[in-house]
Amino acid sequence: MEPVTAQVIAKDKVGEWIEQLMAEAEVIAPVLAHGGDEVFAAIRSPGQVLWEFTNPLHPPKQFLLPQTDPVVAIRRGSNRYELEAIVDERRRILLNVRSCDVTGLVFLQRMHTADLPDDTYVRRAAAVTVVCLACSQPCPLGFCICSAAGPFAREGYDVQLSDLGDRLLAEVGSERGGELLAAAGGLFRPASPEELARRHELEEQAKQMFGEQTCHFGSAMRRVSTGRVAEDLWARMADWCLECGACNFVCPTCYCFSVKDRHESDGWVRCRTWDSCQYAAFTREASGHNPREERGDRIKRRFFHKVSAQYYQRDGMVGCVGCGRCIEVCLGTTDMPAVVAAIRKGEWHG
Amino acid sequence: MDSLFLPQVARILDVRDETPDTKTFRVVLRDRAAQDGFEFQPGQFVELSVFGYGEAPFCIASSPTRSECLEFTVRRAGQLTDALHRLGPGDEIGLRGPCGNGFDVAAAAGRDLLFVGGGIGLPPLRGLIWNVLDQRERFGHVTILYGARTPADLVYKDELKLWAERSDVEFLVTVDRAAPGWDGIVGMVPVLFDRIELRPSTSLVYVCGPPVMISFVIQDLLMRGFPEEAIISTLERMMQCGVGKCNHCAIGHRYVCRDGPVFSYSQIKELVE
Repeated sequence: MEPVTAQVIAKDKVGEWIEQLMAEAEVIAPVLAHGGDEVFAAIRSPGQVLWEFTNPLHPPKQFLLPQTDPVVAIRRGSNRYELEAIVDERRRILLNVRSCDVTGLVFLQRMHTADLPDDTYVRRAAAVTVVCLACSQPCPLGFCICSAAGPFAREGYDVQLSDLGDRLLAEVGSERGGELLAAAGGLFRPASPEELARRHELEEQAKQMFGEQTCHFGSAMRRVSTGRVAEDLWARMADWCLECGACNFVCPTCYCFSVKDRHESDGWVRCRTWDSCQYAAFTREASGHNPREERGDRIKRRFFHKVSAQYYQRDGMVGCVGCGRCIEVCLGTTDMPAVVAAIRKGEWHG
Repeated sequence: MDSLFLPQVARILDVRDETPDTKTFRVVLRDRAAQDGFEFQPGQFVELSVFGYGEAPFCIASSPTRSECLEFTVRRAGQLTDALHRLGPGDEIGLRGPCGNGFDVAAAAGRDLLFVGGGIGLPPLRGLIWNVLDQRERFGHVTILYGARTPADLVYKDELKLWAERSDVEFLVTVDRAAPGWDGIVGMVPVLFDRIELRPSTSLVYVCGPPVMISFVIQDLLMRGFPEEAIISTLERMMQCGVGKCNHCAIGHRYVCRDGPVFSYSQIKELVE
């Protein structure tokens, strides 16, 4: 029998499906928080799940790479320490993740399995099921199409949902995704050829709807990778950077961290915590010497890591998924499209 | 698969004062079998934990040919090293590693070796020096040049005497500023180049010290005809994870903790911030 790769669920059955998922695992989805912000959070009922939303300001990376991530328990006995790796293999389902964020998780998975595999991340990620909700229209600041991260995801999801009006089409992206739908006890039925055609139509329509927001990675990559960006351009961009680190913290692909010990009753927990390459202390050595003392050097570093050919060859993708969050949070204007445009044109207008 | 971040517990055997702010710690892994099986190359480093303070990278200052314990020479420069300096024999710390690439000792066989150390830059070379001296017949001429700011800043004072006494080693030391009782050479490290026979075509040069010192020593060596690929240094960077993940030590797309810390000058030249 041909494996079924796409199924359909009526929208009035989705609540029932989510209840089933909640019985199996912690379900994390975009919900409306107090104060009206849309955030990813563990849901308590299917009705909380948002189906029409821009995209929460924080990507779901926090569930795979928590801001403070306990990695080693350090217990103090009488004149003797015991150390134990902390393993987090909670079964979780990330529901309604947009394609940009799914692609961000692909990036994080690659980075954490390359060279020396990071067991802490890999084991946590292995217990997480990703259900993508494809975008039928671009979000106002999004430019995912420029890095092939949307509006529909190509990889990285277990199930990808698209909105066919009164029903959802569910594409299977992995064995686990197939099992997830198979376990739904008849809530899904195989998709018809017309429904599959409609899904492709939706993707094409969404692509046509991208407007002004764009990001020319190709020419920026050429200049950044060959050092053909004037040093004073970085310096002038740096005048607009407040070194707040927000671009790093909301970025689905940023993963830099520092390691700290947090005090607990019987010892400490060694944690890795998000850090920012835009902070001066990021490279300051114990001697006081700092190879990236200048803000411009730090901006240069950020964009080298994001768009250089050297990193592209290593990671197989640019370090930007076009979600547009850095545009939203930057108090200056040193967001990805603005900096890429400046690199490309050799001009900076702030 | 084990966690990349899980240290082993190690015990401090003893602590030796080197200078007013620098101590050498002799350390063994608590698990005897792990200590016996601990393999490393000179030039590699480990992450040492002081529990409650976190961890930081330190080069292994001892030689793999002397594996009964591991030695680390640490200057007091911040919270973690201050806490480490307060520990003594029997105290437990964490040790994770070895990390990084280390010196390619096999590739040095048959060559003349010139070591150039500055201040606290001697410890990474010291492991290699003893490694070489413990199999002395494999190498050509061995020359060790060492400089520090003042006589009080010289580390391994007892070992410097041993090197000076050996007939199969040429050893010279200098200080930037003399002090009462110092009757030796005064001046920056390169002043020693004029006092020895340099062998640019047959030598490998190992340079370690403060960034400024490394920079002017390398420029001097290049002018004296040493090839770029024969000049080898070990780089310092702010490091956290030691396993190529946290990005603190990245230079371009290279990671000092994974691709280094040992680089030839021909490689260093290609590193672009």
